[in-house]
Amino acid sequence: MQPFSLSPAPLTPETYRSALADRAAGGYASFEGRVRDHNEGRRVVRLEYEAFEELAVKEGERIVAEAMARYGVRRAACVHRVGGLDVGELAVWVGVAGTHRDEAFAACRYIIDEVKHRVPVWKLEHYSDGDSGWVACERCAAHEPGSPHAHEGDGSQSRHEVPDRAAFVHDYSRQVVLPEVGPGGQARLAAAAVLVVGAGGLGVPVLQYLAAAGVGRLVIVDGDRVEPSNLHRQPLYGVADVGRPKVEVAAERLEALNVDVTVEPRAVHATPDNVDALVRSCDLVVECTDNFRAKFLVSDAVVRAGKPAVFASVHQYEGQLQVYRPLPHWPCLRCLWPEAPRDGMVGNCAEAGVLGPVPATLGALEAMAALRRLLGLDAGDAPSLVMVDLSSLETRRIGARRDPRCDHDRPGGAPGLEADEMDLELEFATLTQALESGLELVDIRESWERAHDPPGLQIPTHVPLSELVKGHVEFPADGRYLIVCAHGVRSLSLVEHLRTQGRTGVHSLRGGLAVLRS
Amino acid sequence: MIVEVRYFAVLRERAGLAAESVETAVGTAAELYDELAARHAFDLPRTLLRVAVNEEFADWSHRLSPGDRIVFIPPVAGG
Repeated sequence: MQPFSLSPAPLTPETYRSALADRAAGGYASFEGRVRDHNEGRRVVRLEYEAFEELAVKEGERIVAEAMARYGVRRAACVHRVGGLDVGELAVWVGVAGTHRDEAFAACRYIIDEVKHRVPVWKLEHYSDGDSGWVACERCAAHEPGSPHAHEGDGSQSRHEVPDRAAFVHDYSRQVVLPEVGPGGQARLAAAAVLVVGAGGLGVPVLQYLAAAGVGRLVIVDGDRVEPSNLHRQPLYGVADVGRPKVEVAAERLEALNVDVTVEPRAVHATPDNVDALVRSCDLVVECTDNFRAKFLVSDAVVRAGKPAVFASVHQYEGQLQVYRPLPHWPCLRCLWPEAPRDGMVGNCAEAGVLGPVPATLGALEAMAALRRLLGLDAGDAPSLVMVDLSSLETRRIGARRDPRCDHDRPGGAPGLEADEMDLELEFATLTQALESGLELVDIRESWERAHDPPGLQIPTHVPLSELVKGHVEFPADGRYLIVCAHGVRSLSLVEHLRTQGRTGVHSLRGGLAVLRS
Repeated sequence: MIVEVRYFAVLRERAGLAAESVETAVGTAAELYDELAARHAFDLPRTLLRVAVNEEFADWSHRLSPGDRIVFIPPVAGG
């Protein structure tokens, strides 16, 4: 059958199910979406689906192909109704056949979610009072009657009221649709904790974009209060906030922006006494202060802790951006500036002046670098200092190397493994490579799955996921582990779960044993 | 020889220009900075700056060649 089709006739799930029949598929999952008798507190009696057919089919086919590639399922298809439907009628059908149930469930869920978000299908609802209205917003349909989120049709325009915070689901569709992000990338962001040092001109865009992107935990460190002279370049704050601690106002605004994000405001400056604990509590540090003392303090702390960090500074119309990664060849701030300058020597925003878009641009670049690091998209980047001139719009990338004279304590790290502690997934081509990584392999598959392993692909350490879930066994407390399962789906979930418990040094084998075998 | 020099931040302000072609007889990046510091009255000590030659950070002892693109980079702290 076609991977995705639109049907003007009633859907026939039995036919579709038999079309997906596959003797090698041990799991079949299906979703059926039906016309509900109410929406937004109004009685729905009938509805009509209208699709932009050409685009809808193309986009639908793309989604099914994505699901098959992402979850490694054997067959998948989706059929969406168009035309008039009565209450209770089948509106959309998704079916997936996979080797195991995990992939089948995940792929089925992925397809229906993406179809609802991305396929251009509009719904005209007819209500019991004779009225009707177009609904193109998938989120609206998910709300129960009485929810404050409503389309109040006045004939000319619809109005979105502020959604109930608890009921609102933050919509990441526009970034998840990027092939490099996807649901896996979104899960990485949700599992990440970022320390932002400084909530001023650089920190404001960093905080806004990281919160909006769904970074799970943001720790904000800044001991300053909002001053009138800040507002021209820190528009997260308003006139009414003058005098209040910046971190307190920022936390309010960011929580209003995205309820998924846990914001931890710390109304203190980074000091030698607190910086190490702050840095260790997060996966990544974004340095946004306006002084050398803090920048070098943070640089030294990330080097000691082995955490990646993003640095930026601005001067009038220019800015500099530097990313630090805890890799053996990577330069830290002191490698670039062996003689730490004293504050006041080269001017800061107060002394030299600055236009708002300059720190805003550099802050946005820092947020971009942070997201690329969290998503693992910067693996091929070479260390450099990027200089941006906002007057001429010239950018210049200066290649940088670690200074062998730089005497900073470098973190140990397993030999041969160039992976950050925070990488959720690691890729290996062969079992030998994985075994040589310095990580201990832990097989979380069930015993019956291991029974068929060829002799050369047996992993001695076995902690079945079912036993872990039931609490019969504990995951080993110390050490660095590469968790493996059949396709890398269960292992990734376990790693994400362990990370939420503050555990580092655990990674998932991307693609699972299936990849190693092929 | 002629080299292409670019200035950033406080050096740009002090020199009053962002870039210039410089005819010079000096041998190293350090000597070039000292020569230009005298001409433009730069007061930042060289030890605080970094120099990049042809888009790579270089040592001050780096020997210059005709046509090299040289950038003097002061540290920047604003945020």
